[in-house]
Amino acid sequence: MHTLVEIQQVSKSFGTVPAVSEISFQIPEGSIYGLLGPNGAGKTTLIRMITTITRPDSGQILFQGEPLTEKNALNMGYMPEERGLYKKMTVWNQLLFFAELKGLKSAEAKEQAKYWMRRLDIEPWAGKKMEELSKGMAQKVQFLTTILHQPKLIILDEPFSGFDPVNAEMVKELILELNKNGSTILFSTHRMDNVEEMCSHLAIINKGKLALNGETGGLRRKKFALEYEAGFKSPVSFSGQDFTPVKETTSPDGRQMYTFRLNNEDEQPALLKACLNAGNLVHFTELLPTIHDIFVQTVKEQQ
Amino acid sequence: MNKIWVILKREYLTRVRNKTFIIMTFAGPLIIAAFYAAIALVITRDASDKEKKTVFISDESGVFNAALDSMGNYRFVQKKLEENEARKAVQNKSAHAVLLIRDLNLYKLDSVTWLSQKTLSIKQSEELRSTLSEIVYRKNLTQMGLRQSTIDSLRPKTRLQMLEIDQEGNAKSSSTGIKSGIGFGLALLIYLFIFLYGNMVMRSALEEKTNRIVEVIVSSVKPFQMMMGKILGVALVGLTQFTAWLILGGIAIAAIGSAVGMKGPAGMQQTMKTMPAQNTQEIQKIMEQSEGLDALFNLPYTQIIAVFLLFFLGGYLLYSSLFAAIGSAVNQETDVQQFIFPVSMPLVFGFVIAQTVVFQDPNGPMAKLFSYIPFTSPVVMMVRSPFGVSWAEIAISASILFLTFLFFVWITGRIYRVGILMYGKKPTWKELGKWIFMK
Repeated sequence: MHTLVEIQQVSKSFGTVPAVSEISFQIPEGSIYGLLGPNGAGKTTLIRMITTITRPDSGQILFQGEPLTEKNALNMGYMPEERGLYKKMTVWNQLLFFAELKGLKSAEAKEQAKYWMRRLDIEPWAGKKMEELSKGMAQKVQFLTTILHQPKLIILDEPFSGFDPVNAEMVKELILELNKNGSTILFSTHRMDNVEEMCSHLAIINKGKLALNGETGGLRRKKFALEYEAGFKSPVSFSGQDFTPVKETTSPDGRQMYTFRLNNEDEQPALLKACLNAGNLVHFTELLPTIHDIFVQTVKEQQ
Repeated sequence: MNKIWVILKREYLTRVRNKTFIIMTFAGPLIIAAFYAAIALVITRDASDKEKKTVFISDESGVFNAALDSMGNYRFVQKKLEENEARKAVQNKSAHAVLLIRDLNLYKLDSVTWLSQKTLSIKQSEELRSTLSEIVYRKNLTQMGLRQSTIDSLRPKTRLQMLEIDQEGNAKSSSTGIKSGIGFGLALLIYLFIFLYGNMVMRSALEEKTNRIVEVIVSSVKPFQMMMGKILGVALVGLTQFTAWLILGGIAIAAIGSAVGMKGPAGMQQTMKTMPAQNTQEIQKIMEQSEGLDALFNLPYTQIIAVFLLFFLGGYLLYSSLFAAIGSAVNQETDVQQFIFPVSMPLVFGFVIAQTVVFQDPNGPMAKLFSYIPFTSPVVMMVRSPFGVSWAEIAISASILFLTFLFFVWITGRIYRVGILMYGKKPTWKELGKWIFMK
């Protein structure tokens, strides 16, 4: 995987308040990159620097290996957290305006606008002004203005906030589809369930500093001790075995559940063997920490 | 360049397609035409003598009886009255007023009394006084043996011709009044345009900020391109509207003019004939004195038009870039006032300069200085231009104006880039300064 965006030692402060300090990470091409962090962590500041709205005080950002310029912004589609469009403009004109602003030729823009409006079933609204649309409708149009020029990098600041569940689901599916068609996605969110489902990579930012980053799956394994869960039809004893359960519970359906903590993934076959020997094993699984756990733990560790 | 065009196109089309714009463009000339029609109606109605008021005149000597008929709206009826009878006549409204003349002394007119329920205005009483005086003056001269025609010919017809000598020694007739009038009128037009459409640019920048559109836009275009497109787009809207008004207004005035019966100067003269004789005389007198037409033809028109177009455009561009900066700095329309006042001060100051310095000495050092300063030059240079300004001066001043404009679009772009992302509190002047130099 090539690196699409490389952030190198980037810092930015407003007056004396540092918003982002010495953050470095790479966004691989084709990834769905989740940017996590509590409110005020510096996510939006970082995004604004990637979209060339503001420049870093120090450090630099590379786009496809070259220092980022305003031209690169044409290959990006950005949907800010605070959203809005021209109220008095029709949906159709609005889409064309933003597409042309991103460098699309008029004919191309029209073709794309037609395609996507049909795709989202909003063709009948083409001639309506924004102020006549419902909120959900406006959100769809907003999303379209972001992706109409088929950007290499789609940046979404809190894409699911403000969307109703149906539209949030639609946006999610579109994001996955666009990613499959070759767009790299960077989005910030504090909704952990989406991160787990969608993100191939993630970075956690806290108080302007990078707390953690990497591939989602790898992070879940690396960051915390490995835990496995074994279920039996009836209680069993592990005394005298190499493994001692750290937790013992009874599940609602009457199974006896034991949790083991390992220091090394290589020990897993031995654990499984031990469990098979212990009794009627009906359930054996790796317990991965949720992104939520990682997030909470990471933020806590820093305080 | 392409980006500027995309923005310009949007600014222009959304405004021109707007219903309010279309209505104003068509209703504007109608309002002007209606105004014109109302004036025309008032004039023609004043001229008709339907409502002449009866005034009793009691004059034992008989000197005034016939001669007073030229007085405005009054119909004079001779009636011998004592003072108490006169009072009663006014009181019970059998007459609008009574003019009581007793013991006429032809060299000291001090026994004339005007009785009415309401006193005359200063203008009316002055008119009455001078009419009476003129009648007695003529009576005296007649008694000395002069004929009416001789008396008329004794008063000289006075024409004061003003000649302007240019560098080649050629003489042109000129009129300070007309020059000041034209210069001032055109400067006023520039001023109005700047405010009307500068405001539009400001609201446009503010709209993008309040509707949170701006973040997407600044991630797509440079602030300079954004500002340039906006300012030029609104300028085109203004020019479209002005052109439409000129054409429609012309048509409307012509149509109403012909309906009321005023066909150009010929129609004017006709109307004047129906006016009371005295007014006509006054107008003719003014026209003779000012030598209007001759001076009107001798103005440096190429230069006036060139200056108007250059400084009209330049002034608008400069000020609208300042207005745009305000729009992107504040958060809501109510915060705008604090900044509008100081920004528009120089332009108003330009008019003060025009009225004092320029009218006294259009080519003096002060007038020249202020026609170089870009914030006052749109007004001051315009007012100066009918008096003749060298082309070199115009070129230098216009260059300064346009360069300043470019500089301020850049500044405004900087303020825009920072200001649009600052929501919440109202910025101070100091903060604005910081934003310009912010990375």
